[in-house]
Amino acid sequence: MSTTAEIDTAALAPRRRAWWQLLLADRAAALGLLILALIVLGAALAPLIAPHNPYASSRAVMLPPVWEARGTWTHILGTDGQGRDMLSRILYGTRTTLIIGVVAVLVGGIFGSLLGLLSAFYKRIDPYVMRLVDMMLSFPAILLGLALVAVFGPGVVPVIVALAIATIPDCARIARSIAVSVMEQEFIEAGRAVGLSDRALFTRYLMRNCVSSIMIFISLRFGQVILIGAALSFLGLGARPPAAELGMMAAQGRDFLLFAPHIAVIPSVAIFVIVLCANIVGDALRDVLDPRLRG
Amino acid sequence: MMTPADPPILSVEDLRVEFGVDRNVFRAVDGVSFSVHRGRTLGIVGESGCGKSVTSLAIMRLVSAPPGRYAGGRITFDGQDLLTLPDAQMRALRGGRMGMIFQEPMTSLNPVYTCGAQIIESLKVHANLSAQAARERAIELFDLVGLPSPSKRVDDYPHQLSGGQRQRVMIALALANDPDLLIADEPTTALDVTIQAQILELMKDLQDRTGTAILLITHDLGVVAETCDEVVVMYAGTVVEQAPTAALFADPQHPYTIGLMAAVPRIDVDADRLATIEGSVPPPWAVLKGCRFASRCPLADDRCKTQPPPLRAIADAHRVACWHAPIEGARP
Repeated sequence: MSTTAEIDTAALAPRRRAWWQLLLADRAAALGLLILALIVLGAALAPLIAPHNPYASSRAVMLPPVWEARGTWTHILGTDGQGRDMLSRILYGTRTTLIIGVVAVLVGGIFGSLLGLLSAFYKRIDPYVMRLVDMMLSFPAILLGLALVAVFGPGVVPVIVALAIATIPDCARIARSIAVSVMEQEFIEAGRAVGLSDRALFTRYLMRNCVSSIMIFISLRFGQVILIGAALSFLGLGARPPAAELGMMAAQGRDFLLFAPHIAVIPSVAIFVIVLCANIVGDALRDVLDPRLRG
Repeated sequence: MMTPADPPILSVEDLRVEFGVDRNVFRAVDGVSFSVHRGRTLGIVGESGCGKSVTSLAIMRLVSAPPGRYAGGRITFDGQDLLTLPDAQMRALRGGRMGMIFQEPMTSLNPVYTCGAQIIESLKVHANLSAQAARERAIELFDLVGLPSPSKRVDDYPHQLSGGQRQRVMIALALANDPDLLIADEPTTALDVTIQAQILELMKDLQDRTGTAILLITHDLGVVAETCDEVVVMYAGTVVEQAPTAALFADPQHPYTIGLMAAVPRIDVDADRLATIEGSVPPPWAVLKGCRFASRCPLADDRCKTQPPPLRAIADAHRVACWHAPIEGARP
């Protein structure tokens, strides 16, 4: 009996696992991560694995996907209104969409969070920063995108800039509200009483305690940004035809919705899957990065 | 007792701290003076809102400005004037030669780092130790404050410990760099009674070993009686009475102190109701000409309502701010 008791206590002793081990232990997160990795891999390797030239049209227009009656294995996901291979265009389109979403959210998220955290940390600058953010909030992303395109001409970069700028105020607001509640906790004062510099206090006490909550907002925002990016492309501000972008592809498919629904549906499903996986992974990431939520 | 030749490690003279902007200014601390000597414990007693926590934060220069402001007075720590000290030097004192224990052990530790990491951080900032040496010192400190299996506890996160254990970690953190002064702001208020006794005992024991001076902020007269050498009683931002602990308990002189003592439940007296002090602390924005306690004082007369009583000595080291002192046979 004594040996089993020993074994039991050993099993009960807290085993500390790395955050990525915990992340993979969450089945939904592991699946989301796997799908996301496949999508990213597919997008990254698009020039190597795409079966056709995504820009070359053919006579076989509006060919349905392979699982439908008239489908062929030559064009697994069918062709669009101009006879271009859907699978190839999806691979290339995902590439553009991911780049727009990731870069815009990272740039906007980092700047926005820093602004919000600083404004909670240094109460002196708070009113000024927040009025600036109010001003930015009152400016719609689409209008900003239009203005930037008017100045720089259409393309992916103005869209990224517009989306990043549009992300800043929301993110600053969220980061500030999280940071203000953290600043009120006694351990901030305790950190000061230990003699930490403002910099250590800001990074190790404030930022580190806000990161997990901000992360979930950014991962949710990623989905929104992809959708706004698609809307901008739909308005002809973003990626220019014949370049592929998921939002733009969905918009183009609108005209054929009744007789070739796959042209609009497939890119929409791709957007849906990317956004869903990002949200699930973001959620799980928050749980494993926050030691208070760990078992 | 105290030798006059020995200069106090901390002396506070006529400290005034204000809060607010423009016309909405009020004084949370109004002309407070006291001093603490090495190896001795000074208690500051008073009810909520009397300015005792602000006083302790002011000594660490942690009153956030704005809205706070130092409106006057001097705080001298080992010959240095803290209110004019450059920020960098002040930071070096905090957590170095001056340690602080907070009231709320549940929220006073950074939840995202292990308990050991927070002590190691402090050791690295002040003592310039290597990572390995700092870790060993942290384990040693955990052992010193009576945490069981200290080499395991250093890798625990705060949420894995109980309230009493966290307060021990806070004490270890405050003592990490052998401070000359330990400020304990209601260190036992959030803990249950048995743990309270253990924590007070621990502080006393550590003081005997290290000779640190302790400034103990509390509203609990029982805690004062057990641990302090000298007591300052505060009311509405001012000192109303100051005396060695034994003298204060034997012969309280200010009507407020007398009222406080009468309100302490006593095991040897069979009372149906506990005594209370009528009324409540005047709000900080109230303009008071006379004694701040006058509206609640059973002895108050016209002079009390118009002229503030000065703090004056009525016996050796026993000072009181009351026109009616000395009051005969006051001990309830």
